[in-house]
Amino acid sequence: MSQAVDRAAARFYEGFWGILTRWFIVPAEPPSLPVHEGEKMDSFRPSPGFLRYMKFKFWVVLTLIDVLIIVPWLILTIFKPLVGLVLAPIVLAIAFVPDIFAYLAIHLRYDTTWYVMTERSMRIRRGIWIINEITITFENIQNVTIKQGPLQRFFGISDIRVQTAGGGSGGHGHQHGAEAGFSHEGILEGIANAITIRDLILNRLKKSKSAGLGDEEHHRIIGSGWLAEHVAVLSEIRGLIRKLR
Amino acid sequence: MARENDSTVYKETFDVRKITRPAPVLMTHYLITSLLMSGPLFFIPLIPLFFKYHTLKYTFDDSGISMSWGILFRREVYLTYRRIQDIHLSRGLIQRWLGLATVAIQTAAGSARPEMSIEGILEADKLRDHLYTKMRGAARKSEDIMIKPIGGGAEIDPVEANEDQVLEILKEIRDHLQNLTVVKSTSDKGGLS
Repeated sequence: MSQAVDRAAARFYEGFWGILTRWFIVPAEPPSLPVHEGEKMDSFRPSPGFLRYMKFKFWVVLTLIDVLIIVPWLILTIFKPLVGLVLAPIVLAIAFVPDIFAYLAIHLRYDTTWYVMTERSMRIRRGIWIINEITITFENIQNVTIKQGPLQRFFGISDIRVQTAGGGSGGHGHQHGAEAGFSHEGILEGIANAITIRDLILNRLKKSKSAGLGDEEHHRIIGSGWLAEHVAVLSEIRGLIRKLR
Repeated sequence: MARENDSTVYKETFDVRKITRPAPVLMTHYLITSLLMSGPLFFIPLIPLFFKYHTLKYTFDDSGISMSWGILFRREVYLTYRRIQDIHLSRGLIQRWLGLATVAIQTAAGSARPEMSIEGILEADKLRDHLYTKMRGAARKSEDIMIKPIGGGAEIDPVEANEDQVLEILKEIRDHLQNLTVVKSTSDKGGLS
């Protein structure tokens, strides 16, 4: 029985995706990044724990709201049965229709979130109505923060926030609308192996010799003022002199 | 295979310098958003957008982008590719229907708003990837390439090279030169006597 329900739900969801990709032009495939030869690209979604975490929050909020709607209605029905019966369809609709949409939205949110990483950069895609994609090169990253609340710990996930230089990182990530996407910050939500990914980013950061902003051609500097070419020429001179002796 | 073909086509047809004006469909987008925002009063937000569309100009050169618009109050923004911190590509529902996108570019300036929002580009994905290849940290760097001295000698790993190494080589050269001059002066003396 429950299997049949699951299958029906899956088919319904697939149909919904069909509408989204066809009519609302939501891309079904992950984003890609231009890569150099021999460079590998990983694309992944948040961990399944993130879906469970969002569903758990959904059930908690649903129970609270529905109790608040249904208990007064029950009291009303006990004292004025006729009014209660008339109101029944409206109350039930208010209580349950938004829940279906919210549940669907959770799945859609999960399925439209993509993280892509190469050796040099990362790209995050998020959103259904407004699709936002942010591209950050690891070299431009200023700091990486991992955040995990108690509930997130229970589901084994955490959020990684990656910040680039520049102020006003869009509050605390709970803004909505187009402006929220345009901050100096990339958020990887619901990551199971946060430490590994953080280390991956930080390793790339350490490799970068220049910590400055938008340097033009100075990235060949090794030490202070000595270019790699200087060392090469000097060692060449040394070689010549050795031969002279 | 199909992908490779795509990339070659992209190299042939997409030239960022050819972008100087937004696509005409941007005006349609402005009209729709104004209608949705203010209904019957749509002309109030539409008037500045109308002038913005008609004066909007883009210039892409080797080192940066310039964008200018405005009729009474004129604005011109210039930024260099290498100062780009992050690139945002955002597509609202109406934009997707019209085939448009906004490419927002952030530099390290202290505001959450993007320094430049490039609107009305039909090939936004290609533009974004073009900008990405020009931004800092995306290209292969000299750090990844070993430097080979011309006249033989050991390879130098630039990551390892530092002042100490330079000093060491300089000292060795000095010592060699000193030896050379000593040898030369003794042989000169020998020739005289």
